[in-house]
Amino acid sequence: MDTKKIIDCERKRFDKIIKFRLPHKFMTVGIAVAALSIAMMFVRAFVMEGETEWLKHLLQKSLLVGMLIMSISRDKHEDEMTMALRAQSYAIAFVVGVIYALVMPYVEFGVSNVVHSGGEEFKDLGDFQVLLFMLMIQLMFYHNLKRYR
Amino acid sequence: MENTIKVERAILSLTQDELAQKIGVSRQTINSIEANRYTPSTVLALKLSEIFAKPVNEFFKLSTND
Repeated sequence: MDTKKIIDCERKRFDKIIKFRLPHKFMTVGIAVAALSIAMMFVRAFVMEGETEWLKHLLQKSLLVGMLIMSISRDKHEDEMTMALRAQSYAIAFVVGVIYALVMPYVEFGVSNVVHSGGEEFKDLGDFQVLLFMLMIQLMFYHNLKRYR
Repeated sequence: MENTIKVERAILSLTQDELAQKIGVSRQTINSIEANRYTPSTVLALKLSEIFAKPVNEFFKLSTND
């Protein structure tokens, strides 16, 4: 195999990864997983007793998985315009997510100091909070961009 | 970019939905192209050219701010 063939092969594989999308029916699966996770979070918080920290982490992960499935599922009518809108929504979510991760800890710190005298000590956001926010922004912007196209 | 797709579509008596089905996109995409909110790819432009039996530059024109 010569160099050109290797480059072509790699380019094709890279193209496949970029264009990877789940079939449209996975959107329903994603919604179900996310909704079930949220419902279970409420059950854990208000009904269950005892040590359930492990369940909290598990539900956080399953909520992210559900939203990720929603995010990478194909549209009913997927065409080049929806692909462009999806790319736009990912770009917006990335930028907004980075700003959120940079600014939000200071906002939380400031608010907690105003509300409680002394307040909480400064702490960075967790991965769950940042990823959830980015996925929410992506899904919301994609939906809105499609609405106003 | 400006276009006369709406006129070309009317000449062939095609609805947005029918044209969308012929070139394999959604009706909303045709609507956005007609309203100059979306510039289609070369592939899509050539598909339209085939349907209208005209060269691409007859129904797509550069505007002053392009």
